[in-house]
Amino acid sequence: MIRLENVTKVYDGGVVALKDVSIDVAKGEFVFLVGPSGSGKSTLIRLMMREERPTNGDIWIAGKPAAKMPSWKVPHLRRSIGTVFQDFKLLPNKTVFENVAYALEVTGRPRHLVRDQVPQVLKLVGLSAKSDRYPKQLSGGEQQRVSVARAFVNRPLILLADEPTGNLDPATSVGIMRILDRINRTGTTVVMATHDHAIVDAMQRRVIQLERGRIVRDQSRGAYEHRAPAETTATPAVPPSAEAEPSVAERELAAAEAELAELPTEEDYAETIADDDETIADDDSGQAAS
Amino acid sequence: MSRLQYVFSEALRNMGRNALVVLGAVLAVFVSLFLVFGTLMFGEIASSNAAQWSDDVRVEAFLSNELRNVERLQSQIAEWSDVAEVAFVSKAEAVENAKRIFKDNQQVLDLIAEDPSFIPASLRIRPLDLQDYDGIASRLEATPGVDEVISAGDAVNQLISLRDGLQVFSWALAVALGAAAIALIANTIHMAVYARREEIEIMKLVGASNWYVRVPFLFEGMLEGLIGGLLAVAVGLGAYRLGFDQIQGLVPLIDLTVSPDFLLQRAVIIVLFGVVVGAVGSTISLSVHRYIRT
Repeated sequence: MIRLENVTKVYDGGVVALKDVSIDVAKGEFVFLVGPSGSGKSTLIRLMMREERPTNGDIWIAGKPAAKMPSWKVPHLRRSIGTVFQDFKLLPNKTVFENVAYALEVTGRPRHLVRDQVPQVLKLVGLSAKSDRYPKQLSGGEQQRVSVARAFVNRPLILLADEPTGNLDPATSVGIMRILDRINRTGTTVVMATHDHAIVDAMQRRVIQLERGRIVRDQSRGAYEHRAPAETTATPAVPPSAEAEPSVAERELAAAEAELAELPTEEDYAETIADDDETIADDDSGQAAS
Repeated sequence: MSRLQYVFSEALRNMGRNALVVLGAVLAVFVSLFLVFGTLMFGEIASSNAAQWSDDVRVEAFLSNELRNVERLQSQIAEWSDVAEVAFVSKAEAVENAKRIFKDNQQVLDLIAEDPSFIPASLRIRPLDLQDYDGIASRLEATPGVDEVISAGDAVNQLISLRDGLQVFSWALAVALGAAAIALIANTIHMAVYARREEIEIMKLVGASNWYVRVPFLFEGMLEGLIGGLLAVAVGLGAYRLGFDQIQGLVPLIDLTVSPDFLLQRAVIIVLFGVVVGAVGSTISLSVHRYIRT
């Protein structure tokens, strides 16, 4: 799904952000990028979304040559990638619903699809009741959930998250991680750059550790700090939600969890987009039947 | 929502959001194009008047009494490439002309009556272009059989330089003002893009096509140019109509009439120029703007 081959990135002015980095991420994997500030995590994310081009090396995203593609093809690539950032990047003059719908509208999706998909995704992130609010009226955690909803409403193959919990307190972060985990379980590949030890340790997923632009560790079920394998297995795989107090939103989240399993996979979704109302009607009946 | 509808509504929304900046750009285009329009009209008036005056300019070569074959000289001069027409004024005609010109001067009339032979015959030569005037005069002076050449020298040269100067000036002004209008529209679009940078960033994140992001701005620039151009033409034509009589009264020697065809043609050019200025201005802005470039 994501492949980097001997990627080096040198910024203008000679700062070497990444040096000879090779990564292979399979479809459906959940990968943490960890490391101190300036180690190259964000650069890696920016290369994967083709915000930057590598100085050297090749990058394949969802089977497409991201490094070498002409810039007019980039919009198409971006439609298979969802992105979440530390600063949410929501439009302040649009409501929650409009912010999520925006991702569908600007890529020219039909209106009935917007009406159909946006409420579904808002339910998934537990914000159905707040779809008419403006970002200013929401807490940081809620804003980030809107941003995740927007990233996912396209049903992307890949979700890239650059410090999505960087501005949030630990309890709120857990809520975001649960959503990302659920999104991952639908088959979406998730890559998340983070500083958050607690999250990485609790999730027990693949960890790629960067230091000064190089990969120093790539461990399939790792923690933030490198530990001996025995120690790792000793760490209980606590579900992140255990520490959090169940709020209304949390309960809604849990309720949405069941539905998420029934959400169309991206293959179904591609069909839904390609065909018209009928397909969606079929889809609905299929869900009801299952 | 259809694509065209989207482009329209986005552009109008942008313009509404930055009403003051847009007003500034439209006014800048208006003032620039109004001045260009005015200069074009002024230049047309000047050159049509100059053409009229220059039509009346002749080089007059007085012929010596010894010259036998006048017709040969006449046809010889008529073959010069810079000569439009050569007319022969016979002695008799010259005497009649002199009598008419000096009809209030009894002394001169007496002198002519006494011996009309001192009034020479002449060739009146109309140059093809005013510019050729000097050349023709000096060549005539060197021609055997020609006694004297009368030229309006300085007056003609001034007319020429006035005409050419106006042309250069109006073109230079049009270019300078056009550039200013382009810069101002570019600046307006730049600010519109800047005001919407977050939205553009998000559009690009979620995969909006370049077309989708850029066209509303392009359209906005063209619309501003169009409005400015239409205003310039409307005000220019209005001012010409309303002020014509008063100004014509002040300068009776100059004919201020401009053909309606000319006005219509230039009006269309000005409006199109406005649209082009808008398109170029926004294109420049979009191609340098870091929020737009990928």
